[in-house]
Amino acid sequence: MSFAGKVVIVTGASRGIGHAIAAKFGAQGAKVAVNYCHNQDAANAVANDINISGGEALLIQADISQRADCEKIVEQTVDKWGTVDILVNNAGVTRDGLLMSLDESDWDKVISTNLEGAVFLSKAVLPYMMMQKKGRIINISSVSADNGRRGQVSYSASKGAINSFTKVLALEVAQKGITVNAIAPGMIETDMSDLVRGMASKQILSQIPAGRFGNTDEVAGLVQFLASDQASYITGEIIKIDGGITLGIGI
Amino acid sequence: MVNKEEVYSKVTNCLVEALGVDEEEVSIDSTLTGDLGAESIDFLDIVFRLEKTFGIKIPRGGLFPEHILSNPEYVKDGKVTPSGLDELRKNMPHLDIEKFSKDPNVNNFADLFTVETLVNYVATKLN
Repeated sequence: MSFAGKVVIVTGASRGIGHAIAAKFGAQGAKVAVNYCHNQDAANAVANDINISGGEALLIQADISQRADCEKIVEQTVDKWGTVDILVNNAGVTRDGLLMSLDESDWDKVISTNLEGAVFLSKAVLPYMMMQKKGRIINISSVSADNGRRGQVSYSASKGAINSFTKVLALEVAQKGITVNAIAPGMIETDMSDLVRGMASKQILSQIPAGRFGNTDEVAGLVQFLASDQASYITGEIIKIDGGITLGIGI
Repeated sequence: MVNKEEVYSKVTNCLVEALGVDEEEVSIDSTLTGDLGAESIDFLDIVFRLEKTFGIKIPRGGLFPEHILSNPEYVKDGKVTPSGLDELRKNMPHLDIEKFSKDPNVNNFADLFTVETLVNYVATKLN
C-alpha cells in the first residue's frame, strides 16, 4: 500500500497509536505532519523514523484543544506541501473520574481535545480536500463510546460524539469525494491504557475473546486501509478493532 | 476594467469543477440551483474556487447569504419578511432583490443566483 507523496496530518503523533499511524504512513512514502502537544523528544524520534524510512516529516507543536492551533496545523502543512490528503484525528486525553467528583476543567479538557479538536481540524482541511475532490478523514474513537466503564463519562461522551460527528460529516461531504470514518479500538497496548491494564490486566484479558491486548500497529494498519483507494466507497462507518471485547460473552 | 469574457470563462471553469457539469451546460443565464443542480455544499465549493482562481477574498456570507435566510426574524411562513428583504438589500447588492421581493418565497431565492451573478460579483471585486 503506497502513500508516496500523499500529505497526511496525524494529531497526537508522538506516542501510542498516533506514533504507529504516523510511522506507518512515513514508511509508505507519505509526507507526514507530526503533531504533538508536549512531548517534543518523542515527536522528534517519530519524525526521524519517518525521514529515515522514506517518508518526509514536518513537526508541528500545537494544542488541538485550542481552535487557533487547529488552524495553525493545517496552515503549516499546506504552506509546506500545498494540500492535505488525509487527516487522522488521533489525539485524545482521559481525565477519568466519577461524574459527581468530576472537575469541570477536566470535562472541558476532554471535550475540547477529543471532540472539538477533531471538529475544527476537519473544518480546516475540508476546503483543500473539496478542491481536489478527494480526501480522507479518519477519527480515532473508542469502544468506550458505547461500552464505557465507570469513571469514563467524559471520555465516553467525547467518543460517542465523535461517532455522531463522523456519520453526519460523512453525509455532508460524500458528494465531494471525501470519506469520513471512525475507528473504535478496544484495549490497545499504549501509555494511555497502561494504568487500566496495570490495575486489572487479568480481569480485562478474561473479557477479550482474542485473549490478548491489541497493538498499535494493528490499529495503524486499519487506518491505512481506510485511507487507501481500496476503501473509497466506505464512509460514515465506525469500525471496531477490539479483539471481540464488545461481542459479549456467549451463552 | 476587467475583461468580462475572461471572467465568464474562468467562472465557467470553476462551475465545471465544483458541480461536475459539462462546459456546454453552462450559459450566462443558467441558474446555479435549478439549471446546474448546485446544493448547499456546492456554494462553499464555488466560493473557494472563485477565491483561488481570481485571487480574491470572499467574506463568509458575502456572495451567498448564509445567515439571513436561516434567521427566524427574517423568514416567516416560508417568506422573507420586509426586514429580511432590507437585510438582503444591504448585504447583497449583487442580487436583484426588487425582483425577488414581488414573491419573496424562500424557495425562489436560489433562482436569483445565475452564472451572470457570479461574473458580476467577481468583476466588481476585481475592479
